[in-house]
Amino acid sequence: MHTRAVAPDTWIARGLRLADWLSRLVIYPLLVFLFLAPTLWMIFGSVRPDSETYQYLFPFGWHTLVPIEWTLDHYRTIFALTESRRPTNFGKHFLNSAYVASGIILLSLLVNTLAAYFFARLRFPGKRWLMLVVLATLVIPSEATIVPLYMVVRDLGIQNSFAGLIVPWYASPFVVFSLTQFMREQISYELDEAALIDGAGLWTVLWRVIVPNTIPGLVTVSLLEFQFVWNMYYWPLVVIADRDLQLLQVVIGGTVGPNSLPRGRTFAGASLATVPVVLVFLLLQRYYIQGVASTGVKG
Amino acid sequence: MAQRFDAAGATPAANLFSRVFTWRRRQLIVAFLFVLPALINFLTFRYIPIFEAAYASVFEYSLLGGFGDFIGLAHYQRMLTDPVLWRAFQSTVMFVVYKVPLQIVLALALALYLSRQSIGTAIVRSAILTPMVTSLIIVSIIWAMIYHSQNGLIQSILLSLGLPKVAFLSDVNNAMPAVAAMMIWKDIGFSFIIFVAGLKGIPEMYYEAAIVDGANRWQSFRHITLPLLRPIMMFVIVTQTIFSFQVFVPIYQMTQGGPLDSTKVIVYYIYQMGFRFQEMGYASALSIVTLVILLTVSWLQMRVLKVDE
Repeated sequence: MHTRAVAPDTWIARGLRLADWLSRLVIYPLLVFLFLAPTLWMIFGSVRPDSETYQYLFPFGWHTLVPIEWTLDHYRTIFALTESRRPTNFGKHFLNSAYVASGIILLSLLVNTLAAYFFARLRFPGKRWLMLVVLATLVIPSEATIVPLYMVVRDLGIQNSFAGLIVPWYASPFVVFSLTQFMREQISYELDEAALIDGAGLWTVLWRVIVPNTIPGLVTVSLLEFQFVWNMYYWPLVVIADRDLQLLQVVIGGTVGPNSLPRGRTFAGASLATVPVVLVFLLLQRYYIQGVASTGVKG
Repeated sequence: MAQRFDAAGATPAANLFSRVFTWRRRQLIVAFLFVLPALINFLTFRYIPIFEAAYASVFEYSLLGGFGDFIGLAHYQRMLTDPVLWRAFQSTVMFVVYKVPLQIVLALALALYLSRQSIGTAIVRSAILTPMVTSLIIVSIIWAMIYHSQNGLIQSILLSLGLPKVAFLSDVNNAMPAVAAMMIWKDIGFSFIIFVAGLKGIPEMYYEAAIVDGANRWQSFRHITLPLLRPIMMFVIVTQTIFSFQVFVPIYQMTQGGPLDSTKVIVYYIYQMGFRFQEMGYASALSIVTLVILLTVSWLQMRVLKVDE
């Protein structure tokens, strides 16, 4: 707490600090357990035989979560490496997700950077109104307007294709806004002014001067976009009819139900879909937190 | 704002007026080309759908058959007497009421509790943020198993504590609170990060001054922290309400609106109408009404919580 810095150092205060410290020894592990147990249950469950998962469920104990016998059988099954009654190759859908995610992120970086440069640096009559047009899209509820979005995409004839997954989502008001802020606040105007005076065109200035200085901002928005795309569900569910084109998340959602057995296969598919995002997040946590704190984006 | 690159500013003074004019206009066109791709995308996929929905809502329109007869406001009239719709609105509001206030209070409490810098808090913070980056569909799948009435992980913990088994998702009264609890678990990191950033932004000297004036911790919190967090609080409340009002994935995956329609929320109902029953016209009308309700609710919240500037 902030108050501790100047709190009077009496024996009562010392006693309270000790009590606080001791309580944290109990509460911290409980919090970590609360937030990590479901994920650990999933990951450990994907590398143990199903019989074990059920055998050690009651009573709750160490081996309810942690395997005794480790196995990769569930992963062999979901990559269609073994004979199975209903073979689903999750690897293919994993690649679909990867293609679509890279497509959206690359297009997003290009298009939104151009727009951000326009808003941060270029002079144009009515620019503030254009910014309003961009920002107003933030209040349009996306899940509630999936039906009309689907109608538009169908009119364009790009439903049931990667284009239908990528095209509606590459321009993002969050990304335009946060990159504009970044360029305004973090990049000195003298830099590009000097380049313009030297006779460089806007395009050159953008790619040679602005973009290299916007890298941290670009990393942050790519991270948030990756999380958004990788985890999207409702849109691919309705726009993709052809199972071969479907994204990993939707396929996993479609092949498992709460009562369907075996659990291990579900755990393996779910881990496969989770691990890339969590790894990227752990590696780049700093950028991620910055992004959420500054723009309030929820993935 | 310092936009110093006025096209006219770089023009040699010797140029003729007409040449200045066309050069300047060309500069404007070049500038506009930078924003054009994004604008086209926003218009096509954010704005036009709303107009298309408004248009489709006054027609018979099925997913397979396409546009049918013009029926005026019949879809909107149908809403007034659609009992399922009213239950759906009730369920949606219940979900928001279960989730948003509790999530915000817990997130703020955690942000305050974990405000010191240490390895321990860093680990707990990372743990809190992990569900947030996990996809909602995966979380829903795993939690459906955790809540499972026979072989759920929670049943195992309850049994170890000497408590009886509880039916969560299959019980009319428990299903919605169970989904809301899971969603708090999933989304709390989002509010947590924003509160942590907001608390960091409050200058230390305010608290020091309060101690000098003899304020206790509660008084510091009540008269310094809360008022200064108000803009952030408003942001979190408004965005969380909008997000929660549109809950879809956990309902789709965990309960399919059941048991007995007790978790059939509005976006799930729209999904069923549009994509299951093929009634795109009625689904469009429902989308329009939901959009209007959400815009009104956010506007009201911003009015009530208005930040004095």
